[in-house]
Amino acid sequence: MIEWSEQHLAIRDMVRRFVEAEITPRLEELEHGDTPPYEVLRKLFRTFGIDEMARARFAAIEARGDAPRAERDAEHGESGDALAMRLIPVIEISRYSPGMITALGVSAGLTAGAIMSRGTLRQKKTWGLPLTTLEKIGAWAITEPGSGSDAFGAMKATARSDGEGGYVLNGSKTFITNGPYADTIVFICKLDEGDSVPAESRKVVSFILDRGTPGLTQTKPLRKMGLHASPTGELFLEDVRVGKDRLVGETEDVPARAAAKETFSAERTGVAAMALGIVEQCLRLSVDYANNRVQFGRPIGEFQLIQLKLAKMEVARMNIQNLVFRQIEMASAGKAMALAEASACKLYCAQSAMEVCLEAVQLFGGNGYMAEYQVEQLCRDAKVLQIYGGTDEIQISQIARQLLGRG
Amino acid sequence: MKILVPIKRVADPDNANKVKVSADGSRVTSEGLEQKVNPFDEYAVEAALRLTENGATQSREGEVVVCSVGPKDVAQTIRGALAMGAERGILVDGADDAMDANVIAAVLEKLYAQEKPDLVVLGKQQVDGDSNQVGQILAERLGLPQATFANSIELADGGKACVVGREVDGGVLRVKVGLPAVITVDLRIVGSKAIANGITPATHAYPDAPRYASLKGIMSAKKKPIAEHTIASLGVTEAPRIEYLKFELPPKRAAGVKVESVQELVEKLHSQAKVI
Ligand SMILES: Cc1cc2nc3c(=O)[nH]c(=O)nc-3n(C[C@H](O)[C@H](O)[C@H](O)COP(=O)(O)OP(=O)(O)OC[C@H]3O[C@@H](n4cnc5c(N)ncnc54)[C@H](O)[C@@H]3O)c2cc1C
Repeated sequence: MIEWSEQHLAIRDMVRRFVEAEITPRLEELEHGDTPPYEVLRKLFRTFGIDEMARARFAAIEARGDAPRAERDAEHGESGDALAMRLIPVIEISRYSPGMITALGVSAGLTAGAIMSRGTLRQKKTWGLPLTTLEKIGAWAITEPGSGSDAFGAMKATARSDGEGGYVLNGSKTFITNGPYADTIVFICKLDEGDSVPAESRKVVSFILDRGTPGLTQTKPLRKMGLHASPTGELFLEDVRVGKDRLVGETEDVPARAAAKETFSAERTGVAAMALGIVEQCLRLSVDYANNRVQFGRPIGEFQLIQLKLAKMEVARMNIQNLVFRQIEMASAGKAMALAEASACKLYCAQSAMEVCLEAVQLFGGNGYMAEYQVEQLCRDAKVLQIYGGTDEIQISQIARQLLGRG
Repeated sequence: MKILVPIKRVADPDNANKVKVSADGSRVTSEGLEQKVNPFDEYAVEAALRLTENGATQSREGEVVVCSVGPKDVAQTIRGALAMGAERGILVDGADDAMDANVIAAVLEKLYAQEKPDLVVLGKQQVDGDSNQVGQILAERLGLPQATFANSIELADGGKACVVGREVDGGVLRVKVGLPAVITVDLRIVGSKAIANGITPATHAYPDAPRYASLKGIMSAKKKPIAEHTIASLGVTEAPRIEYLKFELPPKRAAGVKVESVQELVEKLHSQAKVI
């Protein structure tokens, strides 16, 4: 793939029209967190028939029955076209609101994916399907106050057998996207079998919880630096009792660590597309500003130091776009990106997006620091790309481990 | 019901101020501007789709054939309409400067003879040339009734006629035309209740705008047929009758002046502007 196809561009133009009609006029309220992003996102799904497509996909899964996993994977692998169709709205909406994409991606992507890839058919139908159509909002909870990068090692949340075939869940989770509003939560914890097994080597399991389950508290959104269109909160579980029907896969032997790692990789693909949207927008705004802002009697675009910024932004845009194309091309070829490559890709895209945003703020001068100009918001939002889905440092160590043969 | 909808692409109307006149004044150039479907033509496609579907269940109840005359890349414009839901496309290859309204109407006359639609629905005018002629010339050539500047269309007499609301100075004129007929549409034709086809329940309200193509619509547009012709292969022999002699930009307006009082304003209007 060397460029977007005519069809891709048609999708892009339609999404742009939607963004202009439905998102930019409300950006202010969305970005102040006054309005949760879900209604606009639902309208996006309805308008483009994404909910219908999700229902049709599920009907196909249901018709086929609960095929064994290996077989499922072969069929499930997303085609290049399907991936492009998913990434184009991510790029376009990220130009204005990376927060909305985070809220969307965590719900319809990560949380739905966690259930759709490892759940039983009944779980997929009950909890997965309504997430893929955005009827319900989902949250995926692994991070805890004491465990972030070391997600499994330091995890304290537990599930204990209640002796009647069910479980009692305890723990607290933080930085949980959609946490405040989620209808469906995938809660990741360790199985405490009451024996002397050290915490690090305990089985990891995940449970599906509904909003309003006794013992579950979902806090109000936390205040944060940026990404205000994506509500982030804490979850507290105090002796939450659930049946086995809530255990993802309905068996304690589902490889939940592997599943969580898959979820991390899925998150990484999304970051490249988000970075592309952010960088494209910064570049577009910066070129415009460089042509129109006059100092010392000429447009600032005539100063070489400003030209350098624009050229660097363009190089970043080309590189990130090529990485997005590569992802689509690999999907078309039926190949999955190896972990180290996915890490390298996420690392580069997140860092470049941040650099481009900082350069854009600088190019805008005082206006760049003012909320009235969009680069201020994009700059605050871009920072998160270096933190969630595995920090830059974690990506670096993964690349290095692979290089050194310790992967 | 079968409807033929001629559409055309124009230089991005949102950036019309970037259109330039060539140095020798022989033509208008829109280089660097994106080509988009003429907005009134998009309204025509939307009106035709609403006439041929059940808006509540979204089932298709007729056929919309979209055609465009122009260079090969107008196929993209046609596919945009197919993505919205039109069934088929026809592309008539022809250079932009080998055409005027009469040539286009002659081409459409041939397509009409091939397709035998119940209605031809067009935009009232292009937003670039603004000539507002093709629909009228076509109706004349075909000897068909015409209703221009439509802001509402209601099928009547068991589908044998249309009652069309026409936007005219000072109000709306309702006319009844027997089918087949030629209708040109205005902006308000995409109003939520502007179209009544006897199939879509009267309670159904459309959005006040042309529809978005769905992702599935965009994907399936690739597989819908677009037939190709050339102006010559259709047997059209007309040559353009309009010759453009010279283009020039309107003179730059001189800067205004600020006045201190109404008295001064009246005085200046009288002595300098000489309008009172
Ligand atoms: C807006 C937002 C939304 C989020 N949404 C979710 C969500 O929906 N669900 C969820 O479960 N989590 C979510 N997170 C949490 C996110 O995944 C974690 O913040 C991230 O993994 C980092 O963990 P930490 O914050 O605990 O930082 P720490 O792990 O404490 O890291 C602190 C610093 O130490 C560095 N560091 C840590 N270990 C190493 C090492 N081995 N070598 C070198 N440096 C190291 C880190 O890179 C970082 O710079 C979200 C976070 C944010 C900011």
